[in-house]
Amino acid sequence: MLSREEQNRCFVPVRRILDNEDLKLFKEGDAYKLIDSFICDLDEAVKDKPISASIPQSSSIEHVLNILDRVGEIKQENPAIDNMGSRFGNPAFQSFYDQVYIETPKLHQVFGIEHNAAMEAGRYFYESFGNRKRIDYGSGHELYFMSWLLILKQLGIFTKNDYPALVVRVFVKYVELMRSLQIFYTLEPAGSHGVWGLDDFHFLPFLFGAAQLVNHKYLRPKHVRDPEILEMCRADYMYLGYVYFLNKLKPSVSLRFHSPMIDDISAVKTWSKVNEGMIKMYRAEVLGKLPIMQHYLFGHLIPASPGMSPAPQDGDDSEVTHVHSHYADCCGIKIPSAISAAKNNGSRIPFD
Amino acid sequence: MSVSGKIGEVDRWIEQLSRCEPLSEEDVIQMCDLAKEVLSVESNVQSVRCPVTVCGDIHGQFHDLMELFNIGGPSPDTNYLFMGDYVDRGYHSVETVSLLIAFKIRYPQRITILRGNHESRQITQVYGFYDECLRKYGNANVWQYFTDLFDYLPLTALIEDRIFCLHGGLSPSIDTLDHVRILDRVQEVPHEGPICDLLWSDPDDRPGWGISPRGAGYTFGPDIAEAFNHNNGLDLIARAHQLVMEGYNWTTNHNVVTIFSAPNYCYRCGNQAAIMGIDDHINYAFIQYDTAPRKEELHVTRRTPDYFL
Repeated sequence: MLSREEQNRCFVPVRRILDNEDLKLFKEGDAYKLIDSFICDLDEAVKDKPISASIPQSSSIEHVLNILDRVGEIKQENPAIDNMGSRFGNPAFQSFYDQVYIETPKLHQVFGIEHNAAMEAGRYFYESFGNRKRIDYGSGHELYFMSWLLILKQLGIFTKNDYPALVVRVFVKYVELMRSLQIFYTLEPAGSHGVWGLDDFHFLPFLFGAAQLVNHKYLRPKHVRDPEILEMCRADYMYLGYVYFLNKLKPSVSLRFHSPMIDDISAVKTWSKVNEGMIKMYRAEVLGKLPIMQHYLFGHLIPASPGMSPAPQDGDDSEVTHVHSHYADCCGIKIPSAISAAKNNGSRIPFD
Repeated sequence: MSVSGKIGEVDRWIEQLSRCEPLSEEDVIQMCDLAKEVLSVESNVQSVRCPVTVCGDIHGQFHDLMELFNIGGPSPDTNYLFMGDYVDRGYHSVETVSLLIAFKIRYPQRITILRGNHESRQITQVYGFYDECLRKYGNANVWQYFTDLFDYLPLTALIEDRIFCLHGGLSPSIDTLDHVRILDRVQEVPHEGPICDLLWSDPDDRPGWGISPRGAGYTFGPDIAEAFNHNNGLDLIARAHQLVMEGYNWTTNHNVVTIFSAPNYCYRCGNQAAIMGIDDHINYAFIQYDTAPRKEELHVTRRTPDYFL
């Protein structure tokens, strides 16, 4: 357990990445190393571990699974409403979110941590189910969830022995829960690359899912094209389970057209290569992308890099403030240097 | 270069694109040059006559665009106004935007194509169009030609001086249509200011201006829309930009309508799409439709993404 003094230095995390300069500082800083090494350690821990594997399950893992069960109950207590406004994204999600928000402190009592530490962990937790205002979800929210687990690990709730269970029990349960929320509240895909990304909502099931298959005796990446194999193996391997799910969800076109990236990746020879590629892709397409990382939150345990922008005034909200900026060079289009010199704050990309 | 000397060429492009076959890079270069010529003379508030059919986001869903033409009538027999977001997300952004541009060159008075927030260099590098161009052409040149052309797309349109059409919504910097007319639109979409707002803003039930959760543009209330419509002699504002379950959606006091024309968005959202038909007497009706039946191309060549080499 992290010392009481350290826990009391925790605070509600806030946004600190507002422009490309901040993103650069993030990629060079401690927070990036913490997140990246946590993801890589979890990846290593689930190599060759099907979901049905017998693995140690500590009381801390049980506590986290119970917390996710409670979130599932909160969903049932906040049924989708008749969406007369016809906007995509059911407004009942906001009631769900509010109740998770209200219960977050109580849900963290089981860990026996100090108040400030619970506040820091809590924000990553309640933000990890989607954006209240936009009623959407994307890989940035998935990253909040991993950050919640990372902070609990830093607080001493988990040890390395818990890592396999954090993926094949906790993360698997989170993804199942998120799928049900996505369908139940018709969450909009946030920041989706459409068919040119892996999926509209999630990234890490593919990364961890490839790790599970790295030394499999028979299954090869090309088997994602085989519906029978997907059917047989989906319960045990996240990657295959997710492709099965996508094929069911998008029946009007084949894998080739609803997920050309996944189809292209199926030509890679080994799962080891797929797994390495997923890690590179995650670093570039999630941790390295401003539209996603501009929403990321920094506290004491996952600290902002020195020199990052101060938190926007609305730091405790999920709303995004405007940052006035111009860029000196965008795709070869120059603007007058007098303007760029006077106004250059770096550039940022609004969230679609 | 002049359009009138190229009609045969443009017809060939339209025929090829109608089969969902992308043009060669050389043809794209020519097409973008011709399109700049056509679009350069259009106003930031492009005047449109009735009858016309108004369409929302397409997002690269080419087969659903074909379904739209099936339902609304083929171009140029039916006049069309598209309110932007032709690219990103769907598998066929290249074919979709190419076809609409080719139609614009060939029948400039019968189709109006506006700029959406996705017709931008920065946005297309993130949300799919750049990746698609790279995959289908092997380099980013075609993406560059298209995104340079996007700067020339008109920002808004005005139907019979009574229906104001644009991709996103209103701006606190703009009170009158003349404020839109004087903007210098030939630039990358800025992060703030009136051009940004026209492409990024969303209507809201709450009155007044609000900060947009998108991080660009504003939210504007029914009071703002009512004042804008009154000051400019407008009946209503038609816009796109937001996914709505039934394809179209009115604000509470019926002065702003959202039209979304990509059914089953991202091949998963299960939403309907809609278009708004406006007749000679400026009466309007919405036509809803679902995703098109698919006939898939047979050729498959897999290209290993760089991350996996």
